[in-house]
Formats: sequence, structure tokens, C-alpha cells
Amino acid sequence: MVLSAITEFAAQEPKLYAFIIGLVGAAILASVINVGAMAVVWLERKVMGDLQARYGPNRVGGRWGILQLGADAIKLFTKEDIIPRGADKPVYVWAPIVASATTMLVAGAIPFGAVIIDGKEIPLVVANMDISALYVEAVLSLMAISAFMAGWSSNNKYSMLGAFRGVARMISYEVPMGVCVISVAIMAHSLNLVEIVQAQSIWFAVAQPLGFIIFTIALITDLGRMPFDQTEAEEEIIAGYNTEYSGIRFGLLYFQEYNSMLLGAILLVLLYLGGWNGPVIPVISFISPMIWFFMKLLIVLVALIWIRVSLLRFRIDQVTDLGWKVMLPLSMVNLAWAVAVGLYFA
Amino acid sequence: MTTANDVLSALQSAFPGAIEDAKVDPERQLWATIKPDKIVDVCKYLRDNHNFDHYSGAAGVDKINEGLFEVTELLASHGAHQVVALLKVKTPRDNPSVKSLTGLFWNANWYEREIWEMLGINFEDHPELYPLLLSDELVGVWPWRKDYKGYPDYTTAERAIERINSEGYMEYHIPPTEAEIEAGTVPVERPKYPSLREREEMEIKGESEMILHLGPQHAVVPGPFLLDLLVDGERVKKAFLDVGYIHKGIEKIMENRTYVQGIPITDRLCYMAALTNNEAYCGSVERLLGIEAPERAQYIRMILEELSRIQSHLLGTGEFLTLIGSAVFCPFLYMIIDREDVLTCIESVTGARINHSFVRFGGVRNDLPDGFKDMTLDVLKKVRQKTEEYKELFLSDSIYNKRMEGVGVLSPSEARRLGVSGPPLRASDTPYDMRREDPYLLYKEMDFDVITRKEGDSKARIEVRLDEIVESCYIIEQCLDQIPSGPIQEKLPKRIKPDPGEAYYRVEDHRGEMGFFVVSDGSDKPVKVKARGPVYAYFQALPPLLEGTYIADVVAIAGSMDACTSEVDR
Repeated sequence: MVLSAITEFAAQEPKLYAFIIGLVGAAILASVINVGAMAVVWLERKVMGDLQARYGPNRVGGRWGILQLGADAIKLFTKEDIIPRGADKPVYVWAPIVASATTMLVAGAIPFGAVIIDGKEIPLVVANMDISALYVEAVLSLMAISAFMAGWSSNNKYSMLGAFRGVARMISYEVPMGVCVISVAIMAHSLNLVEIVQAQSIWFAVAQPLGFIIFTIALITDLGRMPFDQTEAEEEIIAGYNTEYSGIRFGLLYFQEYNSMLLGAILLVLLYLGGWNGPVIPVISFISPMIWFFMKLLIVLVALIWIRVSLLRFRIDQVTDLGWKVMLPLSMVNLAWAVAVGLYFA
Repeated sequence: MTTANDVLSALQSAFPGAIEDAKVDPERQLWATIKPDKIVDVCKYLRDNHNFDHYSGAAGVDKINEGLFEVTELLASHGAHQVVALLKVKTPRDNPSVKSLTGLFWNANWYEREIWEMLGINFEDHPELYPLLLSDELVGVWPWRKDYKGYPDYTTAERAIERINSEGYMEYHIPPTEAEIEAGTVPVERPKYPSLREREEMEIKGESEMILHLGPQHAVVPGPFLLDLLVDGERVKKAFLDVGYIHKGIEKIMENRTYVQGIPITDRLCYMAALTNNEAYCGSVERLLGIEAPERAQYIRMILEELSRIQSHLLGTGEFLTLIGSAVFCPFLYMIIDREDVLTCIESVTGARINHSFVRFGGVRNDLPDGFKDMTLDVLKKVRQKTEEYKELFLSDSIYNKRMEGVGVLSPSEARRLGVSGPPLRASDTPYDMRREDPYLLYKEMDFDVITRKEGDSKARIEVRLDEIVESCYIIEQCLDQIPSGPIQEKLPKRIKPDPGEAYYRVEDHRGEMGFFVVSDGSDKPVKVKARGPVYAYFQALPPLLEGTYIADVVAIAGSMDACTSEVDR
């Protein structure tokens, strides 16, 4: 009955309906992505603890420390909000907001799995654009802008060095990353992420192993995680671009890193690991794609955490060297490979 | 082989009349008083003709009864022979002045600066007599002089007023009271010199250059010190170092304590090397007293000092890895776990984990507990196995090699010139180890290798440390096999009053050459205690090493030195 009332309303007021659906979708999206990021933070602390032969959070919220993040959030919210005297105030204030908005923009175009209703696969995506792969790739590089805003406006030498490093790194890795996305699009004959997933009868990680490796490295660089966290190398430049931030502004910047880590891992699963594709599990066939999707996502996330604790940091000149001299030529090779083999998938 | 007597007779024939009351005591140590105007010539002669290429430090002594200051210069050789020359120069207390040796030995710079700011002895021809350890306000009070009155007023905190300084920031100012000015504890006229900030800003040449402060509170620094980098983008053009943020005046404190009370204070020089610091101080006083520890006590000392070396190298390497990786880098935490086991072994004997105060004059405090041998052998087996694992872990890591190879290279000649010792020197192909060079305890009878590397870069320094862990395990195993039973403490009078005289005793600290120079006047308190620490020399060598590197390399180079600020400032 409710369903029929909604369809009736949609027929009468299509514009208002689209607006309301958009708002509801955004709210669901924001909560899903933020709760997901909280889960990622918890996962990282726990897995990291295990890898380092210690416990990780185990006090707040039972022996698994589930509420630790809530406690941290309360702490960050109630802290004094400090803006340095010499800071460029509007830019300083807007940087965390731009950072959060960027992740939401990415999240809007990314499908978070699919459900099967009546034998039909329905992807869970807010904005199913035709060029969503290109769009996501473009918006991801906006992250460097927010980092640069934060670093420049803080009026701090460490922040500024961190911001410069961030931009240098972004420029050298966006190009190979973009070329990799193009190679995937060529093989899938589409720039739509949903169609890219559906085109993966063979995972693209298998079809283009080189592209998969390059994309993974470029993604870690984009996310600014070890071994590419020169922007916030704490042993050299304190905390890099967010040195001067405190309280909830720092919380937003910090959280945005985990938001983008989650989104990056999802992107990797969608582009190379077959998304939600997998054998349909009987009985729970309704959510069978979700199960495959989350299993793949979990493996990618744990791999990212594992990399963080077991690798050392590159120097910034080595990072840019690697980007321009190794990754870019190899991504071109991968593009040629995709064009050649793409015919097979046609 | 050159002996101390050869050097003495050569000196006496080369500079007739310039050498006063020379003696050789004990063998390998040459003590001589040189006429002030000849000191540079004598040192130059020793350096050029007798291979005294290692300037090991200088100590200033205030002999207030004789109205004199004495500066003792310590010279040694990097392996050509084992003679240590301790050359004394006397200068009157009013208007004291000594010729500087900076022209001969680059690393004389800091030692002379320290003596200048503490005792007020002027060093002629010294290029930069600026305060090193003291704050600018304290220069001119000459705190190491015996007639220094100190700050008698404990109400300074209440008198502190807030004022805005020239840069617009708030600072605290403590105005001197009239009584203080009258008593002369506050210098009214201070020597004029540019401050560190002014010296740094003089070096800024272009628009794109700036000063980046690493410290006094910064992740790279093991304790509070200021490392200022003049950077152009990511490149370091020049580095400036400022120490003295945790100056505790340990040497002055020890002058006001009895000899035994000095032992716990040596722990506080550097908590990582508490046992070797104990050893260096006690060995020096033992020389003054003319006693030697019983054999069993010497074995116990060796065992504990080698265990202490293992734990220090483990933590030093681990901390270094967190600097080029991040604080979450796994092997660091694994090393902490290993170190915990080693500390448990030490704790079972000394009862303490960090500040042991274990070594005594002529012996040790406790005997080894039951079951110590088995426990230690188990731990050593594990440590050895894990160390091999760590070596495999880093040396096969391509990122590690990329970051470390050819970074902060010290060529053998450069390393000797800069005066570093310990692992950084041995990584530069110079087998200079006090356990071989100036054998103390029973290291003569031990079978071990002095680990060296040819490359001299940051990677080589870490390799030397890891190899030394294995070598130390080997030494401890020999000691545990050979240790005899017997007394652990020589009979000593209740009140220790050595005869007047001086003694110098140096040991191989985990970081290099650690020496104690103790002067006695026959009372129960030393007249002067000078600690010659290895990290002081590292720090002095750091700025030239950092020039032309990347900011990220600064971390790698400084970390590979395994520094300890507490020992530098003392």
C-alpha cells in the first residue's frame, strides 16, 4: 500500500519526488559511508595491533573496543577549536569541509554492491552516470586541493612542505591512474562503473595484471598511506598539512582519510576484482552479490593495512621519480595491451 | 709498537724545556704539562709525527688554591698505537687564556666552547666562541668555577613577569633582584655575540630559502635539542645545531658529592648506557685508588655491559626504523619485545631496569642469581635468531635500500676528522673499539671481532649495530663459560679518599668512546669530573653531514647515529 502511494506521488509530482529521493539518498549515503569509515578505523586499529603483537583498543565497548571511536569522536568534538593567528581564516575553515565534500562527491557515483530481486541485479548506486569511472577519478584528485588549502592556509612551514609534497605527488600519480582507468574502460567498452563490473566475466586483475598493480600503487599514493605518506611524514614534518588543525576540524580531515580509503578500496574492487560478481549463493540469493562484494572489500582493506605496517616510507623525490619514470611508461604499455586484448572481450 | 715512553722521549727531545713534570701512568697513558705557548706546536708534532689523529676531548679544571686553571687535552690515535696523551696547560685565574686547537683538530670546537662558557677560559683563535650548553643569559657567570655562588634565590618563579618580545610573542622575564646584582650572581655585562637565530638568518641568501626548525620538541629528536635546517625546497643547504635544553650540570653536581654518591648520577647521563657509564666512572676512581676488581666481579661487569649493549642496539635500531618508516612499523615493536627479555636478564642481577647504579669501586653490588646462566643463554639464543631475521627483513627490503644506500656517507678520513667513534666510525672502515684499543676489564682474554663496514653510509651503521648484537652474544657466552667463583668486592675503607692526582679511564659505550676524567685533591669529593661522551662527538659531526641532503634524509642520517641528548647536555 505504501509502495503504491509512493508511485502515485511520483507520477503526480515528478520533480518534488526526485528532490526528496535525492535528499533521502544523500542521507543514507552519508551515513553508510561514514559508518563504513568508522568500521575501517576500528579494523585498522585492531589488525594493526595484531600485526604488532599488541592488543589494540580493548577497553571502551567491551573486549573488542568497539566504542573506542565514539570516545575519540566525543574527545575531538569537545576540544578547543584553535585557529592560528597568522592563518588565512576562510581557507583554513573551508579546507576540512572541502575534504569531506570531496569524499561525498565520490561516494555519490560509486555503486556499493548490488541486490538480486526477482532474478534481476539491481546495483546500489545513487547517481548511475554514464561516465562514472572518469568522474570518480577526476573528483578523487580534488583531495589534493583540500590538502593544499589546509597546508597553505595554516601559515606553518611543516604544513606548507606537506602541501607541496601532496601536490607534487598527486600530479605524478594522477596520470598513470587515469591511464589505467582508460584501459579498463576500453576493455569493458564503457565508462559506467556498473557496466564495468558487469563486463568482468574474467576479473580485470587477471586480464590486465600490470594495470592492476599500477592502479593499486597509484591508489595508495592518492590515499597518502604508507609507503607514500610523505604529506604527513610525522618524523620529518610533524603532521604535514594538518599540523595546525585541532579538535573537530582535525577530526574531519582525519576522517576524510579513512572515508577515501574505503572509497578507494571499493573502486579497486569494482574496477579490477569483479565487483559484486560471484556465484549466486542459494537461499540468500537476495544478498549474495553483497556478500561477495564485502568479502573482496575486506581483503583489500586488510591488505592496505598490512602494507602500512610492513613498509618503509619513500623519499619524495623517489616518489615522483617512480611516478614519471616507471609508472607512466608501464601504464602506457598496459593501455596498448588493453587495446590489443580488448577485442577478445568485445 | 709505539709506547708511551717512546712518545715522551721523542717529545722531550723535540721540545726541550717545554715539557714539565711528565709521567707515564698507567702504561699507555702519557701525562705531561706543556708550556702554554707551545701547546699547539706539541699537538701538531704529535699529530704529524706520531699518528695522534684522534682529538678525544678536553677538560678544564679550576685549581682555586693554586690560582690556576688547567686545561687537559686528550689525544689518541685511530689504531696506529694505543697511547693516550693527556697534555695539561696551565693559565692564571685572572684573565685566563689558552691557545685553541681548532686549527689542528676540527672537533676541538665544541669542547673548547664548553670550557669557555663554563669556566671563562678564553681560547685564542677559536672561530666561534658562542654559548653551547648554557642559555645566553647565563654566559658570564662561569658556573664551573669553584667560587661560583649560584642562584640563591628560590623565588624566581614568583618574580617572573610577562612581557612582549620584539617578535610580538609573549615571554617570561625574571628580573634580577638587587641582592643578586650585588652578589655578582647575575652578570651585568655580558660578552657580545650574535644569537643562534641571528647567525642562522645571516645565512639566508635567496627568496626560496627558509629555516625549518626540527626541535626542540620533534619526532626526529631523541631528546630535546634544536636542529635548524636552512632549506631550499626539499634540499638542506646548511644545518645548525643547538643543544643544552636539558643541561643538568651533572659534572658540577658530582663535584659536590662524595665519590660513592657519584655513581647513581652517572646513570643519569644516559639511561640506555647506565652500566657502561657506571663502569667508566668506577674504573677511573679505581685507578685513582690504585685497586682492581676481583676476577669474578670483572666477569659480571662484562656480562652485564654486553647485555646492556644488546638492549641499547635493539632499541637504537628500532627507533631508527620508526624514523624512516613510521611509528607503526612492525619490526620496531618486535625489537622492543626482544629488548624486554634482555632487560629481564639484567634486572635479575641489578634489580633495576634502567638506572642500575650497579658497578662499585673495586667490584659490583650483587652476585649473579641462581639460574642466571640458563636464563641468559635462552635469551641470547632467541636474540641471535631474531637478529638474523631482522637482517633479512631490512637488507632485502628494496625501499630500505633505496632510502639508506649512499645516504650520509662518512668516508674513513672524514669520520676520523669529525671525531666520531663507535658504530658510525666502524661503519667507515676504521676498526676503532676501546675493547681492543684500550682493553679494560678482561676483554683482552675474550675472542671477538671488531665489526667494520666499508661503505660508511646509514645502512652500514645499522648493519654494524646488528652484527655487534651477535658479537655481544658471543662474548657473553664465553664469559658465562669462564666465570670463576670468588669474591665480588674488594675491601675498601668506609670513607673513600683517593690520593691527590688525576685518572682517565675510557670504555666502549654502545655508541662509542666513553671516558671519565677524575681529579682528586685528597678529600672525599672529586675536584673535577669530566664525562667525555660519544654522542657529544656525533652531534658535533651532524651539521656537516646534513648539508646537501633532502629533508627526509636528515631523519635517516640523524637516526642512524643513535643519539642521546641527555648525554650531550649532561
